[in-house]
Amino acid sequence: MKKIILSLLSVLLVVSLVSSALAGGQFNGAWPYSPPPVGHFNSYATNAITLGIYWDLIEQPLAMYLWASGKWMPLLATKWSLNRKTNTFRVYLRKGVKWQDGKTFTAKDVVTTFYLGYLYNWAIWRYIDKVTAVDDYTVDFHMAVVCAPMVLERYVLRTQIRSDAVYGKYASQVIALLAQGKKSDSEEMKKLRAEFDQFRPEKMIGTGPFILDPKNLTESEITLTKFDGYWDAEKIQFDKIKLYNGETPVVTPLVMAKEVDYATHGFPPATEKQFLQMGIRIIRPPLYSGPAIFFNHNIYPFNLKEVRQAIAYAIKKEENAFVSLGDSAKRQIYMTGLSDNLVPQWLSEAVIKRLNKYDYNPDLAAKILTKLGFKKGPDGIWVTDKGTKMEYELLVPAEFADWSAAAENAAEQLTKFGIKTTVRGITYSQHPTEVRAGRFQMAIAGWGAAHPHAHFSYYTDLITYNYPSGLGPGMNFPLVQTTKSVGKVDLDKLITQSAEGYDLLQQKKVVEKLALAFNELLPIVPLWERYGNNPALDGVRVTNWPKEGDPIYRNSAYADSFVIIMILNGTLKPVTK
Amino acid sequence: MSRFKRLISNYIFLRVLRAILTIFIVATLTFFIVRLMPGNPIEIYIGQLMSQYGMSFQDAKNQAAALFSIDLNAPLSKQYIIYMRNLLRGDFGVSFLSQGTPVALMISAYLPWTVFSVGISILISFTLGITLGMLSAYKRGSIFDHIMSTIAAILSAIPNYLIGILLLIIIGVQLGLIPVSAMRGTVSPGIKPGFTWIFIKDVFSHALLPIMTYVVSTVGGWMLSMKSSTLNTLGEDYVTVAKARGLPESRITFAYVGRNALLPLFTSLTMQMGFLMGGSALIESIFVYKGIGWALGASIAQRDYPVMQAVFLIITIAVIVANFIADLLYSKLDPRIKIGGE
Repeated sequence: MKKIILSLLSVLLVVSLVSSALAGGQFNGAWPYSPPPVGHFNSYATNAITLGIYWDLIEQPLAMYLWASGKWMPLLATKWSLNRKTNTFRVYLRKGVKWQDGKTFTAKDVVTTFYLGYLYNWAIWRYIDKVTAVDDYTVDFHMAVVCAPMVLERYVLRTQIRSDAVYGKYASQVIALLAQGKKSDSEEMKKLRAEFDQFRPEKMIGTGPFILDPKNLTESEITLTKFDGYWDAEKIQFDKIKLYNGETPVVTPLVMAKEVDYATHGFPPATEKQFLQMGIRIIRPPLYSGPAIFFNHNIYPFNLKEVRQAIAYAIKKEENAFVSLGDSAKRQIYMTGLSDNLVPQWLSEAVIKRLNKYDYNPDLAAKILTKLGFKKGPDGIWVTDKGTKMEYELLVPAEFADWSAAAENAAEQLTKFGIKTTVRGITYSQHPTEVRAGRFQMAIAGWGAAHPHAHFSYYTDLITYNYPSGLGPGMNFPLVQTTKSVGKVDLDKLITQSAEGYDLLQQKKVVEKLALAFNELLPIVPLWERYGNNPALDGVRVTNWPKEGDPIYRNSAYADSFVIIMILNGTLKPVTK
Repeated sequence: MSRFKRLISNYIFLRVLRAILTIFIVATLTFFIVRLMPGNPIEIYIGQLMSQYGMSFQDAKNQAAALFSIDLNAPLSKQYIIYMRNLLRGDFGVSFLSQGTPVALMISAYLPWTVFSVGISILISFTLGITLGMLSAYKRGSIFDHIMSTIAAILSAIPNYLIGILLLIIIGVQLGLIPVSAMRGTVSPGIKPGFTWIFIKDVFSHALLPIMTYVVSTVGGWMLSMKSSTLNTLGEDYVTVAKARGLPESRITFAYVGRNALLPLFTSLTMQMGFLMGGSALIESIFVYKGIGWALGASIAQRDYPVMQAVFLIITIAVIVANFIADLLYSKLDPRIKIGGE
């Protein structure tokens, strides 16, 4: 009997040794960060070392979103529900989760996380007025302003949860101040924020599968090590995640040297081509946004929708997309101001059929202008009915290579059509200031947003660079309009209504109205939709990347990174030597 | 002559006074110029959140709330007075984007690495450059001279950041002779700082690429300068006399030609130290080397005004001090020159 037990024990020992040898492996990524003393571990304050998409592996959120199915992948939360009578969003937390310092994860951590968010004016506080721990594993978010469940869900579930042991002292001060009726703009709250900004925890304590130990951090790289106490540790296939610090120019040689398994940096098409020649795969996740031509509506004739429509017809958008970013740019098909990837989720077939795609048609563009009384001059340049030549400047952030290429090509095409356009590149940091101040004629700026709810895309399209933003006149596009498609509309009100209430069907109706109005009015002309060109190295350290077309790649590259999801659910595996 | 008159006519005193005035002017100009740069820390931070985290504009704007405590709209004169008052106390202020982090702490963390890498590279580059330059002058018209002069001309014409990228791509990626990823930064993770062989070896291996870049980009200039200076010296009467006196060739080479040819290069050597500090921004960014240039690049990208001001000031001081030292030492090297006409 003794012999049998001993033999069994030795077999078990061998098996465990072999399995531990086979497990492990390393995933190499890249993300820019500032090392200490500039960088630090207060994940609320600026310059914190949070590591972008990899943050979810350290301070884990309650859930992550699967964009293709519209479903959530529960993490620290197990389920959640909305009580429409009490306007309360209740979240049930996972039991048995440990923090990396050995403490137990409870509702108190969630409460701390969101009250400190109040200190930083987190958007969720526009809708909620209270976060309460019902018991150790249940949290209630009370809504003061009813908003779309999809919006609230996202604000609650996608927030990285912080440790009460680390941050609780400050959260309790916020709660105390709120109890005294002090709001975020009060002197007391400002003072507390200034004090908290200087708070520097020694390390980042999370519940995620990887530990960020400051000892493993230099200015060039950071190594995250596996947290054995992680609640779902058996699914995690890697022992280490190494992240190289740096922006595109310094990360490029590392990708070429096959030292990086995945990177989200914006690589130029020529570099991408070289990666492909070296056998490095390129994954192209949608970013749900892209560049558009913004018009200064104070300038005649940009305030005429027919002129904006003519401009949309005069540009071959496929060409513009290809010359700008190769296969990582796709022309806007539906021209709704919403990503084409989100159109099927928000618009009915009947509405989609009514949309004008503005396919390249310079003859139609010329016909529209002629109908307005515009004439082509002897030099081939269109002259308006008021006798002014159509000669304009197109402002673009000079450092954004893809946007600059889009501007150059659009200018070339418009000039060929007879609208003489000159590109003026200004530094990226000044560009938004100029556009918001209305100091432009035409400008290239971003449309759309990486958020599953359409509200955010329309906010970017129509508010961010327009007078309601409160930051200047911007494009000064009047948001009350009369349209043929949907009659008289107040677009500002529609944008707000699109995220209000519990009725998703009602919200879809509002979004459909917005889409049809946008499609007809074209306050901006979206040129193309940006897709990532993310190098993914297969077979060196990491393997099992799903094939192209897999629904996981519908996830936004940044907002709910598919790579993080695939590390968490064990899809990505280390190469076995 | 009264003590005061003697003091104000003292060369060193005047030089110190001039240096302080220069630093004051540069500090003032820097203060206003950085604020004239397009964009501000808040706008840039919002843009960064939108591009790196896929945040919508309104969420990014809320997240940037911490930065709204910076009073960028305070009168410039008030900001300037506070800045100068703090500067007089040796206080560079606190980083805008890393609230609570003193700029002095950042400078003390970054400056030693730049001084180390730039110092070593200047030493190597200067020694190599003057040796090869002198050899070229002695072998004037030979194949060696032609090859060396051509190489020197080419190298001195290529910007240092381009040499850095080429070194990385050719030696690191294409030839695979060096481990590109392991050589980034200043030290390897987990290496304890100290006077140990492991630490010293690690520090040198990380500094190798920046040093190589500095050396390759500056050696050509030293070679050409030394060659020209040596050629001039070789034509001097005292060299002909030394040869006529039958002095040994080695003595003529080192004591007569070398020493005199070196004199004009000495000022450039000290000045180079200061200028390389400023020029290190691109090199340190390429190799992710935590020096003062890297800090400058990062602070410009984020419009972290206090850090930018401090780094520009440090660079200015480095150039002024180097110039000052050059002037003082010049008289020691050349007995014909006496400070203040003594």
